Amino acid sequence: MTLSRRHFLASGAAGTAVFGLGQFPAFAGTPAMPDWHLGYTSAPAGGFDPEPMRLVFGQEPRGLKGCLYRNGPAQFLYGKDDFGRHWFDGDGMVQRIAIADGKAVHSGRFVQTTKRRIEQANGKFMAPGFGTAGDPDFPVSGPDDVNAANTSVIVIDGKLYALWEGGSAFTMDATTLETRGVKAWSDDLAGMPFLAHPKREPDGTVWNLAVNGRNIGVYRIAADGGLESFGLLDIGKAAYIHDWAMTDRHLVILVQPWINEAFRPPVVEGFEWRPEEGFQFLIVDKNDFSIRRWAQGPARAFYHTGAAWEEADGTIRIDAALYKEPVLGVGGGVDEIRGVWQGREARFESDLTQIVIPPTGDVRLVETGLDGDFPQVDPRRHGLPCRLTALVTGQPASRPGLSGVGVHDWETGRTDSFDFGDARMAEEFLFVPKPDRQGEADSWLIGPVLNLKTGTSEICVFDAARVSDGPVCIWRGDRAWPLGFHGTWA
Amino acid sequence: MSFQPLIISTLCLAFMAPAALAGPLTVTLENIQKQTGKIRLGVYDAAGYEAGKAVSGADVVVNAATVSVTVEGLAPGEYGIKLFHDVNGDGEMNSNPFGMPTEPFAFSNNAKGRFGPAKWDDARFEVTEDGAVQAITLN
Repeated sequence: MTLSRRHFLASGAAGTAVFGLGQFPAFAGTPAMPDWHLGYTSAPAGGFDPEPMRLVFGQEPRGLKGCLYRNGPAQFLYGKDDFGRHWFDGDGMVQRIAIADGKAVHSGRFVQTTKRRIEQANGKFMAPGFGTAGDPDFPVSGPDDVNAANTSVIVIDGKLYALWEGGSAFTMDATTLETRGVKAWSDDLAGMPFLAHPKREPDGTVWNLAVNGRNIGVYRIAADGGLESFGLLDIGKAAYIHDWAMTDRHLVILVQPWINEAFRPPVVEGFEWRPEEGFQFLIVDKNDFSIRRWAQGPARAFYHTGAAWEEADGTIRIDAALYKEPVLGVGGGVDEIRGVWQGREARFESDLTQIVIPPTGDVRLVETGLDGDFPQVDPRRHGLPCRLTALVTGQPASRPGLSGVGVHDWETGRTDSFDFGDARMAEEFLFVPKPDRQGEADSWLIGPVLNLKTGTSEICVFDAARVSDGPVCIWRGDRAWPLGFHGTWA
Repeated sequence: MSFQPLIISTLCLAFMAPAALAGPLTVTLENIQKQTGKIRLGVYDAAGYEAGKAVSGADVVVNAATVSVTVEGLAPGEYGIKLFHDVNGDGEMNSNPFGMPTEPFAFSNNAKGRFGPAKWDDARFEVTEDGAVQAITLN
């Protein structure tokens, strides 16, 4: 068990009652962590067995049925002071919140990767990674030896996959969360990376990228999980690609001027910000990769797009959270993992932006001024025209993380948002269409929130049409899991 | 479990001084996932290890999860082994579009590489007049 404030409080109270010792000597030297550090505290190695959550607010939404799967780093510390070197390098843990008949049941399991198996056996961080130099003796025969499987999840034809970006997807049991193994989409593609941001067309076809410097592979996977095709693109330079965009007819590769020519661990140290090169966009015909064009815009950094669509004249619109320069990858959450908060830097604020790529000429940015990230759209409209983008917003001065949820309407320019305040840390919220309803706003938004007062994780549901009314309902568990990155609803 | 010893005579025999022959090098290959194709094994000395110039070698037909082969005719000295399982029998070490091997591979001493093949220092072993034994596990 990891020594954390949470566990300290729980076990310490029982200990003092039984033994009358005051404070355990072993804990006496442990500095108290701030309450928000719960979001960066290691989860139990054995995971979380299924446990019901309680409805503590509102009414359960009628007809909401399915599973919220989420992934995120959940191992930040070995022993007393072997802290992770980078937030992105923590072992992935998949959380599963099954909702049916008004009840929510949570479970969670670490993805059993090679990295995790070796590090758990040795009780220390060893694998090289995004921000970790690693132990020189840690064997690396291929990317999957250092795969943290910690970034996202997707369900294709009932099968659950834990996703990273530099290596293969891991197959997991969608119910028990048991790790089955590394996924090869075909024998020829064994060991190929599979990005953490696959895109799903409304008919269920899944597209995704494999990124290796300037070389990009493109997967097209049928709704039944079978590989339909794999193609290659050259984007001309080794830009950092975490996410991308797709319309009904085109793939759009967003080539930000954040370049890594020498991809060696710690990877983050090899990046170079080259704003003079601008922000470039490669637009590729989905049915014929030889039909492609480039567009150029002003330099921006980004992690996430919401979605994209195109108009009759070929204009492409993409919503994305853009930054004036790279953020997070640089600092890597190292302070947060150690419970240190030095405040925010204004230059790291994001701006929810619509990227407008005209049929010819330069790219135009329509900036909302809305600071937030994790943009999401109605999955029924992915690649098709849509007007609503949900995102997580609100940056309290007193702690890291985000505190609110908003829905931006691109037609009216208005943002409908709700802020939980300093005592709750909000994660990514997903659109979940209401049954038998077609409108874009006929959706719920569902996502986890870490309640710092109770020290437990919660699942919140909003009505996408009335976010500022506050949550429709909140389910609360008896335990907390660390802040994650991305999820899926299935 | 069955063993398929295979005696190899090699070109390098011709270059050996008769009195300088080492004993047999017996290599056991374990944890073979697919019982098809063959394992292509190269034996290298210090000069040829990185450059990929083998002094001897063997192709071992795979018909069990564990197979073995004996390499004879080596001079006493230090050697390293590189091998791969040619699962589809096309003679090549297949790789994915980014150049990562898609067929299992391994090195003597079960040495592991770090972003590349295992280093000579980790893979080298001594073959004496009594020969040598290597048990190599495929990944």
